[in-house]
Amino acid sequence: MNKENINPDPGSAEAGDVKLGALLRTSRVSPELPPRFQEGVWRRIEEADAPVKSTGSIAWLDALAALVLRPRLALATAAVLMVAGALLGVRTGSQVAHQDAQARYLAAVAPNSLR
Amino acid sequence: MNRSLVILLGALALCAALLGGSYAVSRHVCQRCMSKSVSDLDWLQQEFHLSDAELARIQKLHEGYLPKCAEMCAEIAAKKSELETALNGTTNVSPVAQQKLAELAALRAQCQAQMLQHFTEVSQTMPPEQGRRYLAEMQRLTLGLHEQTESSMSGSAGHEHHQH
Repeated sequence: MNKENINPDPGSAEAGDVKLGALLRTSRVSPELPPRFQEGVWRRIEEADAPVKSTGSIAWLDALAALVLRPRLALATAAVLMVAGALLGVRTGSQVAHQDAQARYLAAVAPNSLR
Repeated sequence: MNRSLVILLGALALCAALLGGSYAVSRHVCQRCMSKSVSDLDWLQQEFHLSDAELARIQKLHEGYLPKCAEMCAEIAAKKSELETALNGTTNVSPVAQQKLAELAALRAQCQAQMLQHFTEVSQTMPPEQGRRYLAEMQRLTLGLHEQTESSMSGSAGHEHHQH
């Protein structure tokens, strides 16, 4: 039985693929790039790489909040405030006690009916 | 609300609480400790930097003066009671009430003179500079109040008194 050769010649098939490829390339429509396209791409890449910057007062608040949250600074501030409060309290307390003592002496030697 | 703002406000509140709390506690403790065992003369010793010997002399004067002062105060209180009785139920100042007023004023003047005499004696037991300061301070504290009252009354609008 005479078999029909269904496979074409390999050499002619390769030649056909090349032709087809060339044909497809010529038929593909390649749109023109907008002006300064490459520059725009690089700019967007640089912007993506750069850290996010906040604006104005928000940046200031963020920086201050970050500073406040530092444990060492927070502890030091708390210690300073407590010492300052204690010193002020001692000062005021001694003044009040001094005034009380003065009032006690005056009440003893100069009753209200004479003042 | 912005997270940073919340953190800052919280930190501020915490700072205020710390400052206020430590102030209140230390003030209370200090005041209590200093007022614990004070006699009438502790202020004198602190204010005028008196030695124990000076304080002992003043203590003696003070103890001698207190009964006289109490006696005068009792006399003044009795005279005030008499004056109130004389004024009770009357619509004008009767001669009896005028008499009682004059007696009360005389008693007060006598008591004030006795008090000033005591201040002078106390000041003489102190070092000269402290004695002068003590005398001036006591005169200011005991007699100055009248001057303040008189000057405030003479200066008020619609209620002026002429100087006599």
